[in-house]
Amino acid sequence: MLRPEGMTRAVVVGSIESLDGTIGCLYELGILHLIDFTKQDDEFKLGQPLQEASDASQKLLKLRAMIRALEIEGHRPKETLQVKEINGKIEQAMVTLDLNTSTKAEARQKIQSLIREKEAEIKSLDPVRTFGIPVEYYDGYENLAVFVGICKQDPEPALRAKVKDFELFANAKKSEIAIALFVKNEWRLEASRILTDHGFQEVKLPKLEGNPEKIMLRLSSEISDLEKDLKRIEADIDSVRKQFADFIIASEEHLAIEVLKAETPLRIATSANSFVIDGWIPTARMEEIRTALDEKCCGLSFVETVPREGEEDTPVKLKNPQPVKPFEFFINLVSTPKYEEIDPTIILFITFPIFFGFMIGDLGFGAGLMALGAVIRLKLKGFPDLYKLGAIILAGGLIASIFGLFVFAEAFGVPFHPPPDNLEEASWESVVNIPIHPMLEKMRNVLEMLALSFVAGWLHLTIGFVFGFFNNIHHSKKHALAKIAWLLILLGIFTELMAMGGNATETSKFMNSTVLAPLMPGSTVMIAGIKTAYSALALIAIGIPSLLLTEGGQALTEVIGLFTNLISYARLAAIAVGKGAMAFAFNSMLFGMIFESGPGVVGVVIAILGIVTLVVCQLFFVFFLGALSAGIQAMRLNYVEFFLKFFEGGGTDFKPLSYERKYSVATTK
Amino acid sequence: MDPGTGMALIGAGIAIGAAGIGTGIAQSQIGAAAVGATAEDPKMFGRGIILLVLPETIVILGFVIAILLWLKS
Repeated sequence: MLRPEGMTRAVVVGSIESLDGTIGCLYELGILHLIDFTKQDDEFKLGQPLQEASDASQKLLKLRAMIRALEIEGHRPKETLQVKEINGKIEQAMVTLDLNTSTKAEARQKIQSLIREKEAEIKSLDPVRTFGIPVEYYDGYENLAVFVGICKQDPEPALRAKVKDFELFANAKKSEIAIALFVKNEWRLEASRILTDHGFQEVKLPKLEGNPEKIMLRLSSEISDLEKDLKRIEADIDSVRKQFADFIIASEEHLAIEVLKAETPLRIATSANSFVIDGWIPTARMEEIRTALDEKCCGLSFVETVPREGEEDTPVKLKNPQPVKPFEFFINLVSTPKYEEIDPTIILFITFPIFFGFMIGDLGFGAGLMALGAVIRLKLKGFPDLYKLGAIILAGGLIASIFGLFVFAEAFGVPFHPPPDNLEEASWESVVNIPIHPMLEKMRNVLEMLALSFVAGWLHLTIGFVFGFFNNIHHSKKHALAKIAWLLILLGIFTELMAMGGNATETSKFMNSTVLAPLMPGSTVMIAGIKTAYSALALIAIGIPSLLLTEGGQALTEVIGLFTNLISYARLAAIAVGKGAMAFAFNSMLFGMIFESGPGVVGVVIAILGIVTLVVCQLFFVFFLGALSAGIQAMRLNYVEFFLKFFEGGGTDFKPLSYERKYSVATTK
Repeated sequence: MDPGTGMALIGAGIAIGAAGIGTGIAQSQIGAAAVGATAEDPKMFGRGIILLVLPETIVILGFVIAILLWLKS
């Protein structure tokens, strides 16, 4: 929590004979983040791939070609296969598959291209089909030019007017005219110009002989023969697919892992008799790797820790308790924190659901969101990002329900009890009497909602600056001190806001009498018609020169930015009020339609129409769009207002040497 | 309702409406660029969102002014 997992720089060294075993062992443990070896010298060079690499890659290449030929890229075997079984069968299977798949896939390709060729010939013969001229007569004249193709308009009148001695065959088809034009060579250019003016598109006739009609018939029957062949081959391929798909996918996975392992020496340093693997290991698991290497390599390779050298690019593995983990999703969307930085996931875990819940603040919609989150958790385990999002929605829905139940006392935009000044307003009282009264009414106490939002903003930003202080304290005391100056200015702005609120809201009254009491926000002076607290002025007056000393003049421009940052939290109130008003508007418009629809069939139809409209509007506009906007705003407050106070990011993800087996099972030796 | 209150309410409407239009214009261009960047490199999504939502502060300021006007009316 707050800090990523501790990492130790370590080297694994050993004699070259144990390289194979060591690499296998490291992959199985999956805890060493390898640092690629780059500085070659006379002694140490990049390693050579393990012996099995070339054979495994060849097989892998063939298998991948087969996967494409059999079109089983998306196939997911239902059962796993033992590696022993794969290794035992693969040679034989590759031969069988080569015979059955490669030749058949080739044949299929040939037939498909033949069919395409013949279809193209039929298409090009189609325009001249009705002219009754053998195909060979369209070509090979010394004194004649021949144009065959499609015109957009009939060119005959224009040809008659300008060209002598021509013969035109034409066949009108819908909006186009198929033509074959024979002219003497001297009229060729003129004819070509006229045809171009009439939207002429040339058709290249195939080099065939005979009557086009008969040729087309022959081609059609050839195509149908080829299609029969194709079907037969497809059936053969299908049977191969059924028989071998599971095996091929599992073998592909196994071989990919083998190749990955076999090519690892290309990233490490080796000499004639030894090897050195440099990397990072989670400090807590050092002992584990030590024992494993002892057991597997019989003392031929061992691990040594290396002291840190100044600032290094240490890989980052976030370390958070299980319930907090899904919120790492938000961090990954932006950037991995650096190893020395504070990991803010825990703050997201607290603030995101609270902000989200406050904005939704409704028992009905909150319960709906919880259900949605639960469904995602149960059904979409295969999609890691969505799975995490499910937990986030679940948490947000839970807090929204709590706010809806205890604070705002409403469900689906309808209050539990009608407000005292409007007893006619629709409420749940007519259905069920829930003995909870609202602590706060969204739409009637907007100022209170705003004050609460500013308190949340102040707390959130304060944490941001405190994190900023701790992130900077190790490498720049000056920047760390600047964060304290910012904290003072922030407190000044907040005190001023609360002083302005005075007794108008319960929140400001409470803050002024408790947390802010030592600052005496009550003692004020009127400046430009605004009630200004002395303490706020003093805090800002101390903060600004401190900023000048620590961050320079440029930082002053950002003071206004800090003010807008705090005001920005007003969106919490804005979305909550806006969403509540929208639900209220749909309810008050459509309840009338539903409950006062009158007697008879017409009344029932109107009531049903009203219910359908209400459900659709509430579901789409309030539930989905409301949840979406509340989610985006809660995320934004964290990303923009909060993160920019301390977060730099740009850390390297911890990616250990490891693999994942889904369809193959490694047999323990 | 006295004319002053009416004017204040119209002012509140203009404050939030005009601020909304301003935010919209700013976001339309940033949004298009952010989607383009994300299409090229999905890792840009987070940064794209940050840039996209920056102009929202304008409409929030409009909202606060509208509330202040509304409460004064």
